[in-house]
Amino acid sequence: MKKLVAILMTVTMFLSAMTGLAMAEDKAHPETPVVVGVTCPYSGFVANLGENLVRGIQLALEVEGRTEDVKLIIEDTELTSELAVTKCESLLKKDNATFIIGSVTGFEGDAQAAWLKDNPDVIFMPGYSATEDMTMRDFSPNMIRAGWTANQVMFDWGAYVAKEIGYKKIISVGADYSYPWGQAAGFAHGFLSNGGEKIEYIWYPEGNTDFNSIMTTLLSRSSEYDAVFLNDGGATVVAFWKAWEQYGLNNVYPQLIGGTNVGDTNVLTEVSDGYVGVMSAGFYADGDPSEANQTFRQKYIEMFDAQPDAVSVQGYDTMRCIIKGLDAVDWKVDDQQAIIDAILALKITDSPRGSFYFDEYHNAVQNVYIKETQIGADGEMVSNIIKTFENVTQFGPYNDLKEGYMSMPRNARDYPPTERDAFMEDLAKYFGQEYVDKLIENGGW
Amino acid sequence: MIKSKTDKFRLSGLLALLLFLIAVPMLSSSFLITMMIRYMYYGLLTISFAFLASQLGLFSLMVPVSLTICGYIIGLGVLRWNMSIWLAILLGILGSQLFAALCGVMVNKSKGISFLMLTLVISQLVWALSLQWTTVTNGTTGLLDIRFPEYINIFSAQPNVNQYYWTFIVFVLCVALVFLLTRSSYGLRLRGVRDSESRMMALGYHTSTLKWTAFMIANLISAIAGVLYVYNNGMITPDVMTLSSTNKSLISSILGGAGTPLLGSMIGTVIYRTFDVMLSGLTRRYLTLVGLLFLTVVMILPDGITSVAKRFRRGKRHE
Repeated sequence: MKKLVAILMTVTMFLSAMTGLAMAEDKAHPETPVVVGVTCPYSGFVANLGENLVRGIQLALEVEGRTEDVKLIIEDTELTSELAVTKCESLLKKDNATFIIGSVTGFEGDAQAAWLKDNPDVIFMPGYSATEDMTMRDFSPNMIRAGWTANQVMFDWGAYVAKEIGYKKIISVGADYSYPWGQAAGFAHGFLSNGGEKIEYIWYPEGNTDFNSIMTTLLSRSSEYDAVFLNDGGATVVAFWKAWEQYGLNNVYPQLIGGTNVGDTNVLTEVSDGYVGVMSAGFYADGDPSEANQTFRQKYIEMFDAQPDAVSVQGYDTMRCIIKGLDAVDWKVDDQQAIIDAILALKITDSPRGSFYFDEYHNAVQNVYIKETQIGADGEMVSNIIKTFENVTQFGPYNDLKEGYMSMPRNARDYPPTERDAFMEDLAKYFGQEYVDKLIENGGW
Repeated sequence: MIKSKTDKFRLSGLLALLLFLIAVPMLSSSFLITMMIRYMYYGLLTISFAFLASQLGLFSLMVPVSLTICGYIIGLGVLRWNMSIWLAILLGILGSQLFAALCGVMVNKSKGISFLMLTLVISQLVWALSLQWTTVTNGTTGLLDIRFPEYINIFSAQPNVNQYYWTFIVFVLCVALVFLLTRSSYGLRLRGVRDSESRMMALGYHTSTLKWTAFMIANLISAIAGVLYVYNNGMITPDVMTLSSTNKSLISSILGGAGTPLLGSMIGTVIYRTFDVMLSGLTRRYLTLVGLLFLTVVMILPDGITSVAKRFRRGKRHE
């Protein structure tokens, strides 16, 4: 078996080398390197996200053989909105960047989206910011997101928890800002529409690492709720898990479920093996057995001696979209609209996260994976795919009801309503009573 | 005789600088304008810190508090309460001054470390409030897209040239205010309190009133920096209120020389705020570089970069 794999790999490598050579001959090159600016945090509680974003971008340049043709300028945002915007300004005006790849957090993304409204001369692609309004209610024609929205990846997950797992009441713990609000909102739509009864929220300030009081609350409420939904990412999840084990909550709740970043590699490498069985949903699963994902992971590990995560994948995909878009216009950067049109027309089929294309609001339409943490073949923890939902748009189940969805209030900590009846009542305001009646009659979507 | 000569020299230098600053938008790229605007509003913040430090010897760690409160009131006024921007600005300044007045009463009795700690606590309180009172402040995202009316764009068709001139006018007024204050008998009295509060009391001065008013003035400058911040960035977020944001004003001030509230603050701010934008594209370790620079300055020039000129002058006099 091993031999077969080895032979197969040699053949693939040979073939890709051949195609690489063939492409090298008729490849168009720009006269001067195309300037791509990247803004990301190198400091603060998500510094590793910034690093992984840049690595993904670098890998894409390497794989496509475009390191000479692109000048990458990386700027630190120090995880502040003001610098995230000032650095965009600097990249556009000082360095004449054609593209800016935005930052990784929701609040930086929001600030950059507001800035973009007055700056049409640059093509902006978010790094990992997932606030849905960036490509929805605050749509800018020069923003393209080869990523995801917080809500997009949660709709089906909420429905899955209600229907397939059968939980009725969930208590949710999350950081108090726009991105977790979006995840909570998406989850609530799926959960409450499909038989879930109630969600209670506990919010804590972003970057929090002390979970003692929250654990006590979770302990005292365990008789009321079926499971805990953790709505955060990175180092905070690691701190949460430590406290979770200390308080023995594994014995009280059957399961921990979570938002997108809860099952990501940067968490899995840091937590104890007790984390096996934690379920989450996202646009990328590191355990995805597809060939595109396996070669991506292999190359990434070779190049950086580190594990890629979802941020790396988005960096990789974003840079590849830029390269492919530029290929279509022969690397001429004068006509911005032509580049934007070329990128929007792309259908990427060989991404590590499956295939994706863009909707009319310039956000990726893609697979959403329900994932479970398991021990992989090499003894390391991986998130494996339990179920795949294909071609999910940022409107999720409301793809035919876009107007209604966009007339809803923006994501907030207290929207949508947390109990089923109130939620349905609110839903009727935007989609009509008929829609709600049908929903109740069908028992869900 | 000699004094008037140096005065003339200074005056012509100042005029040349003013002319240069007025001409900046005509000469330079649009990015330099952005940078200059940044120097000005952050410069005011540093001046707010250095004013108290140099005149009263009090190191306040709540420099950005008034900026934050003023900014949030403006943001709320425009975005939530639909009031005119001018009323919002007025309310912002009044609101932040009211808060400063209360804090002033609290911190007035303290000095040295206890003043430092009290102001630190207040700044952390405001930071936590801006972060956690999400129904009002919108949490980490803050208040975005606060716009000023179009009709104030009277200088040029380019938006950031207008921003530059308005910021410049307000900046010059504030600097002039601080300059006059430090040269006035009021400034002299403040420095008297700094050097010996008990003697000033014995001379019959109400030192606590003096300290309180100075505290209010420092906060007023910070609040005006807040107006400029919102005007130029169109947003207000909790990260202006973090400890590291306070530290940046502190470092800028010490870098330039905390003893000179105007020149030192501006030199320090220009250096720091240039580094944090220009260097980060070149190296990921730019914060280390800033740290090294800071360390070098503190070791070699404990009175900041402006003290070089003083040393030079003193050396000349000795000859």
